[in-house]
Amino acid sequence: MTAAAENDLETDVQVGTDGHARVVLRGRLDARTAATCWNRLEQALRVSKLEQLEVDASGLIFCDGAGLALLRYLSMGLMTLGATVSMRGLEPGLEQIFRGFTPEDYEAFRPPVRVKCHPLPEEVGNAVRQAASDLREQVEFLGSIMGKMLPTLLDRKQMRWPEVRRVFELAGANAVPIVSLVSVLVGLIIAFESAQPLAQFGAQIFVVNMIGLVMVRELGPLLAAILLAGRSGSAFAAEIGTMKVNEELDALQTLGLDPIRFLVIQRITAAILLTPLLTFYATFLGVLGGVLVALGLGFPLPLIFHQLSSSLRLSDIGLGVAKGVVFGAIVSAVGCMRGLQTQEGPSAVGVSTTRAVVTSIVLIIIADAVFSVLFYFLTR
Amino acid sequence: MSNPAEIIITVRDLKVGYGENVILQNVNFQVRHGEVFVILGGSGSGKSTLLKNLIGLYAPLEGEVWIEGGDLVAARGDERQDLLRKFGVTYQSGALFGSMSVLENVRLPLDELTALPGPLKELAALAKLKLVGLGAAAQKLPSELSGGMQKRAAIARAMALDPRILFLDEPSAGLDPVTAADLDLLITELAHHFGITFIIVTHDLASIYAIADRVIMLDGRSRTIVAEGRPAELRERATDPWVRRFFNREPDAVASGLHL
Repeated sequence: MTAAAENDLETDVQVGTDGHARVVLRGRLDARTAATCWNRLEQALRVSKLEQLEVDASGLIFCDGAGLALLRYLSMGLMTLGATVSMRGLEPGLEQIFRGFTPEDYEAFRPPVRVKCHPLPEEVGNAVRQAASDLREQVEFLGSIMGKMLPTLLDRKQMRWPEVRRVFELAGANAVPIVSLVSVLVGLIIAFESAQPLAQFGAQIFVVNMIGLVMVRELGPLLAAILLAGRSGSAFAAEIGTMKVNEELDALQTLGLDPIRFLVIQRITAAILLTPLLTFYATFLGVLGGVLVALGLGFPLPLIFHQLSSSLRLSDIGLGVAKGVVFGAIVSAVGCMRGLQTQEGPSAVGVSTTRAVVTSIVLIIIADAVFSVLFYFLTR
Repeated sequence: MSNPAEIIITVRDLKVGYGENVILQNVNFQVRHGEVFVILGGSGSGKSTLLKNLIGLYAPLEGEVWIEGGDLVAARGDERQDLLRKFGVTYQSGALFGSMSVLENVRLPLDELTALPGPLKELAALAKLKLVGLGAAAQKLPSELSGGMQKRAAIARAMALDPRILFLDEPSAGLDPVTAADLDLLITELAHHFGITFIIVTHDLASIYAIADRVIMLDGRSRTIVAEGRPAELRERATDPWVRRFFNREPDAVASGLHL
């Protein structure tokens, strides 16, 4: 044994001209040395067509699972295809472990090398069927909420107002800082970006009209709803989804309590109560951002107020708040529905929260479009 | 290959807890190579907390945990990483990664921590699965396995890098008696044939009698080790009434609240 052998492996390969090769291993064959040994053997053995390979393992002082894997790979002839392999000198205890895993085992347990691929029509069909059944579930869910909302609201015992208050605080009051920041910045950015093109026409003062209208009618409700979807819709889905995974929903049902009456109605009520306030707040701060830009451009405050009050009607504000109510109902209902739909498995809750946010935002935008058309015809 | 009487783990004056709240103190014990060492205690006695301190998940308040000649508590950086690789751990729930097949779970440590070529990693992982009797389940997802099979797969994963020490947290929790007995058999075989040292946290009496070479018993009230020895010895000769009651599975009348 050589000096370096204490922690190392000595690999000795002799390849004869007659198609006969001999590998002698001495020292420690572990995960580290097996990797270097593999490279060494690859270079030496793959090049020539061998008929016979002899492996001498009598010099091994240590061999772990990775080392055994290398010996098995060699002895199965996978590195020297077509050659007969003989192994000798393995220490008896190791030999027994070595025999514990046979080439037949390897064949039987190996992962099959095939990729499952569905034809395109099948994929499309499945996607359509899923979308249709999802739509059906959404409608069913909407129906069951509609049916249970009023009776629950009227029944003080079932309504659990403290829970409504808790959700109101978590989803509403605690959202104020982030809503403030985002609204002010969005108002500021839009006013700032549009001030430059308007200046070309000498119409910079109309920045105020524009920001007022955009914020009150569109962006205020949208910002509040999207932030609510990200902060609270996802939280509803995660909360209810975790309860489902932990069998808490099953426990509720066996206690004779309906999850929709017990969990969902409270969240929707809280959301419907808080979104008008949140929308109003987001609108106010967004307009404030625009006003700050207008002040920076040198317009006096009374002029700015005059522009604002002349461009906005009361119906605009009513529209914004109405949008807020509808968006709030959408976000909370979708969050709860995705939570209740949670499947089994480790990623199920994550999937539910993602779906909650995505569905909420899609439905918010669709509802917004519907509102715009309705408002156009109503105020014509 | 190694001396059977060699001491592989030494725990010295360990004090564990969360902040001000001390859960166990004056914990001292040694584990010999190839031993099946059981940490025993009633619910809430701090078994799992002690285990998490032993494997370095929590930092103990005081004391030392020597594993194969290195103090895990004091070690930092690379030294700590080396120490962590000297042992494998399985958790109560199995803690297999749900998105990967059983084979991928076992391959993961080899993939991440060794430079072995792909075929060897696959071979080594399959051999470990065969060892725990799960060769045929290699391509399945953890969710498709029964509880007992998940525990076995977790053991195979913990053994992927051939550690000499395995920590098992409640291996028989949630298993039926037959499956639990199968698992006990696997543990004794691994200990005897492969010289693996087991440190097992459990309160399953049947499996303690079947596998344990030595037992320490924790008590939540005195917050320390109240008994140490072979399980049969403790059942016969324990002086502490709580230990005797535990080993003979006698109820604690006060706990029921019925006062019949």
